[in-house]
Amino acid sequence: MIELNNMQFSWKETLILDIEHLMIKANEKVFIQGESGSGKSTLLNLLAGVITPQKGEVIINNTHLNTMKSSQRDSFRANHIGFIFQQFNLIPYLNLIENIILPCKFSLSRKEKALEHSKSLEEEAIRLLANLGINASSVLKRSVNELSIGQQQRVAIARALIGSPDMIIADEPTSALDSAHKASFVKMLFDECEKENITLVFVSHDESLKSHFGRCIELSSINSVKVEEVE
Amino acid sequence: MSMFTLALKSIQSRKATFLLTFISIAISVMLLLGVQIIKKEANSGFLQPVSGTDLIIGPKSSQIELLLYSVFHIGTPNTLMEYKSYERIQASKNVKWAIPISLGDSHKGYKVVSTNENFFKHYSFANDKKIEFTEGKAFEDMFHVVLGYEVAKKLNYKLGDNIVLSHGDAEVSFVHHDELPFKVSGILKPTHTPIDKTLIVTLHAMEAIHDDSPNHFMHRPIKKKIEHHDESHEEEHEEHEEHHGEEHHEHNEDEHGKHSEKTYKENVSHKVAKKLKKLPLKISAVYVGVESKNAIFGIQRKINNNTNEPLSAIIPALAVQDLWDFFEFVQITLNIISGLVVFIGLLGMLSLILMGVQNRRKEMAILRSIGATPFDIGKLVVGEAAIVCAVSIGLGVVFLYVALFVLSQPLYDTYGFYLQIQPLSLRELAILALIECSAILISFIPAYRIYKQSLIDGMNTHI
Repeated sequence: MIELNNMQFSWKETLILDIEHLMIKANEKVFIQGESGSGKSTLLNLLAGVITPQKGEVIINNTHLNTMKSSQRDSFRANHIGFIFQQFNLIPYLNLIENIILPCKFSLSRKEKALEHSKSLEEEAIRLLANLGINASSVLKRSVNELSIGQQQRVAIARALIGSPDMIIADEPTSALDSAHKASFVKMLFDECEKENITLVFVSHDESLKSHFGRCIELSSINSVKVEEVE
Repeated sequence: MSMFTLALKSIQSRKATFLLTFISIAISVMLLLGVQIIKKEANSGFLQPVSGTDLIIGPKSSQIELLLYSVFHIGTPNTLMEYKSYERIQASKNVKWAIPISLGDSHKGYKVVSTNENFFKHYSFANDKKIEFTEGKAFEDMFHVVLGYEVAKKLNYKLGDNIVLSHGDAEVSFVHHDELPFKVSGILKPTHTPIDKTLIVTLHAMEAIHDDSPNHFMHRPIKKKIEHHDESHEEEHEEHEEHHGEEHHEHNEDEHGKHSEKTYKENVSHKVAKKLKKLPLKISAVYVGVESKNAIFGIQRKINNNTNEPLSAIIPALAVQDLWDFFEFVQITLNIISGLVVFIGLLGMLSLILMGVQNRRKEMAILRSIGATPFDIGKLVVGEAAIVCAVSIGLGVVFLYVALFVLSQPLYDTYGFYLQIQPLSLRELAILALIECSAILISFIPAYRIYKQSLIDGMNTHI
């Protein structure tokens, strides 16, 4: 599913990532742990094809991202990857439903997959929200800024899930949540990925979440560039 | 959801922020279009009263001068022309009709035009519209007067009312032709030309009220006689005491014109004047219609080279054009100013969008993560500018029409300038399109910046 080979990435002539090999299989739930500044965000940008390494290969779903044009990588990302960010995941001027169905506007394949589940994209969004424990009718009319952070993050899961991408990348999605919500958030994410056979890459510095995952990768153990050098 | 829909929603959520931009561009659009429309309307306003007249003939003078006094009643003619010349013109070849016009008197600030029945028969305006009556009819009696629509409305006159003309064209005249009042025989429909503001009388009556020949005056007592040296009327004029014959006039120092009784009654002077029924020796100008348009220049040449009397013949449409060219620099200046105002409005929009670029990096990262290309993000910004400008233009057009509706009546009342409210012309729509295109072009600046920014930021959300 995800394969990195002899990959090096530098930013302004400073080597940030140097990963000899990383392999993540389809449907795997992987926890990547690293302190801030360890190059986590850079790794995610590389996996998503927003940036390309100067050296080596990034292979996702047997597709070599490093040889694609940037617009091809953008549409590849739209079709195959869902994202969950740390906070402020939602576009402030779109409502709840519009935020969730946004990926379908950039990816025809995800739109088609979403419509396999429900008659309309709106219905699919409501269905996903219901699975995540949000009764859509009670929050539908509200601006996304009025939602609690916990609710916002669950809306973000729904957006990442819609149209069943092959992979979800979650970048510190729980750091704004309190510990009670953290566990339930991770569990929900897990369950949904399981149902849809989605590979999950979960990046965090929070070791307490490690136990939920089958596989845990310490970024510093695969990256030969040391954290001190990055700073 | 295309980037355009996103842009629409983004602007919708920032309505308050963009409010001033909307208003400033809207006002500038209103100004720019307003200048165009006023120019166009003024042009057609000047052309309408002369649209049915092929030539205007008057005493030797400049064409603008002749046009202004003979049609728009602005200024006074320096000299007059022979009535005989009118008769000659009317009889000449290729002339279909000729209308004599004599000016000089007024009634409560409204101009009096004396003419003959040809005026009602042949005069046309605004593309072949003929003079029509709301009430009554053209004069059948020598002392009948036909009122322009506005004169009747403003002064509240009805058919059969008594009207005393004043000598000269000042708003407040001290010389009244009150021995020979007129009877209102007809009221015209609005024409939106200077005719609405005129009183139309017969040439015979005009001659009678200015006549001071012994024949005329031997029939009535004269107490006082004042001589005038008015170039426009070489005859002498009198101011008569308010009492003579069986007529009784109530005199009111403050309100001139209310000297006589409300209802017209024929008096001795009228009878005398009718018996004499003299035609004037001199008139102010002649409107001419030709048999065929090809004859216009020939007649014009003939008149201008006339040896009987020095005369000028002008083609009114060309004279209006000349007059208009004279004002062109004013119009150009206004165009430049309103163009600059549009530009300033667009700069305001630009700075607002540029300010947004920094604050929106997070939003851009989310869009990138979903699969938006940096180019899409550039398009978002261009779309926003396009929407802001389009909304402002729409608002500006609304402002414009509101202003036109509000201003049209006062403009007409004050300047007699009739503002016709019409849909936007192709030219004006092209101006609007040009403004919209400028807005889009100008938005390439922030679009390029945000494009560069999102290339660098990627999905980096820890900003």
